[in-house]
Amino acid sequence: MPDYIERPRYFCSLGGALSTLEALPDTIPILHCASGCAGSIAWGQNGGSGLQVGGYCGGLTVPSSNVGERDIVFGGTDRLYEQIKNTIEIMDGGLYVVITGCVTEIIGDDVRACVSEYRSQGVNIVSAATGGFKGNSYYGYDIVMSEIFRQYVKKGAEKKKNRVNILGVVPYMDSFWRGNLEGIKSLLALLGLEANTFFTAEDSLEDLQNAGSAELTVVVSDLYGIEAAQTLRQEHDIPYITATLPVGPSASAALLRSVARALSLDIDVEAIIEEQSRRYYKYLEPLIDCYNDLDLQKYAVIVADVNYAVSITRFLQDDLGWIPELVQFTDVLDEQRRTAITEKLADQNQGIIPKIVFDTNASEAVRYLNELYPKQGDDLYAKSFTPAFVIGSSLERDLAQKIGAPHLSVSYPVANRAVLNRGYTGFDGGLTLTEDLLSAAVAGR
Amino acid sequence: MGYLDYKEAPKRESRLKACIAYGGTLCGLAKKAGCGCMDDGERSFSQGSICLMLPGLAMINSLPDNVTLLHGAVGCGVCSHSQNANVRSGGFARTGSVKDALWLSTALNEADVISGGEAKLRRAIIKADRLYRSRTITVVTGCVPGIIGDDVESVVREIQPEIAARLILVHCEGFKTKIWATAYDAVYHGLGRSVLDDPPERPSLIENEQEQIRLDYLRGRTVNLFNVSSMGRGDELELTRLLNSLDLDVNIFPVFTKPEEMYKVKYAALSISTCPTHDDYFLKYLKEEHAIPYIIKHMPIGIENTNAWLRDVAKFFGKEDVGERIIQNEQRQLELALTEYRAFFKGKTVFVSAGEFRALATAYLLHELGFDIVGIRSFHHDEFANVEYEKLQSVSEHDFTVNIANVQSYEEANLLRKLKPDLFLGHWNGNSTPSKMGIATHVIYNTGINYIGYKGAYDLARRLYKQLKNPAFNKNISKYTKLPYRESWYGENPFKYIKGGEVDA
Repeated sequence: MPDYIERPRYFCSLGGALSTLEALPDTIPILHCASGCAGSIAWGQNGGSGLQVGGYCGGLTVPSSNVGERDIVFGGTDRLYEQIKNTIEIMDGGLYVVITGCVTEIIGDDVRACVSEYRSQGVNIVSAATGGFKGNSYYGYDIVMSEIFRQYVKKGAEKKKNRVNILGVVPYMDSFWRGNLEGIKSLLALLGLEANTFFTAEDSLEDLQNAGSAELTVVVSDLYGIEAAQTLRQEHDIPYITATLPVGPSASAALLRSVARALSLDIDVEAIIEEQSRRYYKYLEPLIDCYNDLDLQKYAVIVADVNYAVSITRFLQDDLGWIPELVQFTDVLDEQRRTAITEKLADQNQGIIPKIVFDTNASEAVRYLNELYPKQGDDLYAKSFTPAFVIGSSLERDLAQKIGAPHLSVSYPVANRAVLNRGYTGFDGGLTLTEDLLSAAVAGR
Repeated sequence: MGYLDYKEAPKRESRLKACIAYGGTLCGLAKKAGCGCMDDGERSFSQGSICLMLPGLAMINSLPDNVTLLHGAVGCGVCSHSQNANVRSGGFARTGSVKDALWLSTALNEADVISGGEAKLRRAIIKADRLYRSRTITVVTGCVPGIIGDDVESVVREIQPEIAARLILVHCEGFKTKIWATAYDAVYHGLGRSVLDDPPERPSLIENEQEQIRLDYLRGRTVNLFNVSSMGRGDELELTRLLNSLDLDVNIFPVFTKPEEMYKVKYAALSISTCPTHDDYFLKYLKEEHAIPYIIKHMPIGIENTNAWLRDVAKFFGKEDVGERIIQNEQRQLELALTEYRAFFKGKTVFVSAGEFRALATAYLLHELGFDIVGIRSFHHDEFANVEYEKLQSVSEHDFTVNIANVQSYEEANLLRKLKPDLFLGHWNGNSTPSKMGIATHVIYNTGINYIGYKGAYDLARRLYKQLKNPAFNKNISKYTKLPYRESWYGENPFKYIKGGEVDA
């Protein structure tokens, strides 16, 4: 663990759990923590989630026990009992989920016992230990989804053919979570599959409760959601596969192949991929002239979370034909994960391997770039980092300005874009991303 | 011994008897507050709000050439992502260049919770000092070090000699106080203890009497203008314009003030607060330690409030006549500009919700614009605001709802369903309840737009006109979204869950 993290690009595990619950349909989160946690997280979404805050029960409407000094001395469980009882009385939801913050976990409140008492009275209620010191918001997603799968999803459900669960896209951490999940749903529909995505406008609590009937869980991330998928395997006997977030034609094709293989589908996957690719490139056809005339092929720096750093780098390299030079991962990752993720980028057809760094201090990107392209004074033949493009969060505007490159925010924080149903997954997502990249490149045209 | 001699600022519950639970009416509150018998209560159902760390960071993140080092779990301080927008635009408005705020987190994990976070904090300070070379590093503590008992004072004191940056310590353990206005005291406490030293003097060989006379003259006509983090540059310029017209020089403090220039606050003829909730702690310190008198009475939002605010300053400098001429002139121009809006606003009902002084001053302005006030929610209550409630009471034709609550949107939803106002003005992240009910809304502060002084009154009127002219966004949303409350809740007493506090309904 580093001694500090610069401008952390994630919330704490409580923040991730809360954001996850806010994105679920008809769900009432109940925070057992100090009063400021809810607000801090709402402000965090406000500042980085593509202008999206809260949901059905989010922002400053989430029930919270707001424990203070007295509760810390005497314990906060009495307050929690009272809070849950009154939450059920006032708040209208199909599922109540108690999540804990640092304070109540350090003092050791027995939340589980309290919640099971209400569950035994027939209330749909779940608890998850998400104290902020446990990890970041991506981990909070895994903790809370795991607990929901354990405590809420129906056990022993009969497996339903062609039904799959999707995990790995973390609401609000990925500003494009709705569009991305819809893109994956449509992609898998090409194989005749019905994907349970949990967090889109089409999803319901009933689908969540029946998640145990899926044949397979597809984790569309090389890191996030894997623990939750393991819980589904343990508790509901559902195998899982992991895949890179499928942005653009190559990654989408790879996902279709691996899902078809995992489910042993009797279907001509290659024909589907061929048809989708033909459609994809048909859209690019009229772009050819301008793409060439404006010299829109770029060198790229990518500073992002695991999902976007891997998927965007691969898209640029495999599909769009750009040259990623530097990829900086801003997550805190152990050595084993670093190796596994590095392999995802090394496995390339064109043999282009960008410099990969794992560093939570994003302002260091300039230094890494200077190592690759040392400043060479007024040498006429200096190898300069041009034409370049910066893809990352809105905090990379500074880097982009320093090197005089256009920029696109995709990874948290996305402060400078409004996001509603936009997504970058699937074949269509590749077109959308191409539009956004090239629009930024020609913004001054 | 003054407060600044203590390790940290006392919480406002004890210092000012501030409270967060009351439900009733303007008259009811005035009676209680008047006889000094406000008791704070608890809620048996509560919703999340903010803690002192948010307003604290809003101030600290604005300081130029400062690194904010949060000592806590990784989520404490994520509000900085939202505040960064203000740092960028506010910095641009003041300096012409855009810069992101710089904040770091020690991101305490499970191992740190067990073994303590002091060593990690020490290493983080050293590394941050070496890497960023900032003038100041402000260490801000969250709940975790407060509970596990990290001795942050000692870490900061012991390491200061090894550090090039000046270290500032601000305590923001959220569980310690329910009154987040304690944040202002905490920040002033940190600044007051660390960065008010005079710059090193250049030794002069001969005594320069003339220079001393010049300095005394300038200081004699300089006022400290205390800004707040919810105030944009436009609002600052408006107040500066008014003070300049009294022939006064203005030293703005503390938001966006360079740490190396903060010492100037000790050399002024007068300190003027723009928000009595905000500054009393530090104004009293400046008076006691540096003999600078202060005015902390009105918030210059609204026409009469701005008049009164300016009048007090003019009076202090014996410039009553000039002050009156300025006020008359300003008011004449403003009245003319407001004519078309007044007719449009007349009789429309409005509900206001925000920090206490902001809510009350804005309500007074809305009354001046012709609105009919049907309810006010203040995020806390203390004695400074009593005079504002009295002002409203003296001009209101009827009594109206007053609710003291640290947000608690469920009480708000219940009240709004009953009162059905035409317009709602709410805090940042505090307009979703009325929006989902189809009520026209407007944010009660946003640093990019103006609210303060005469210009602010006009600009606010224009924006409210815009909202009321076409509230389709909220109207449409309300048809297809629902607030997360059971229908039965709307039939209940809105203050049902306040226990042991003050309820008059």
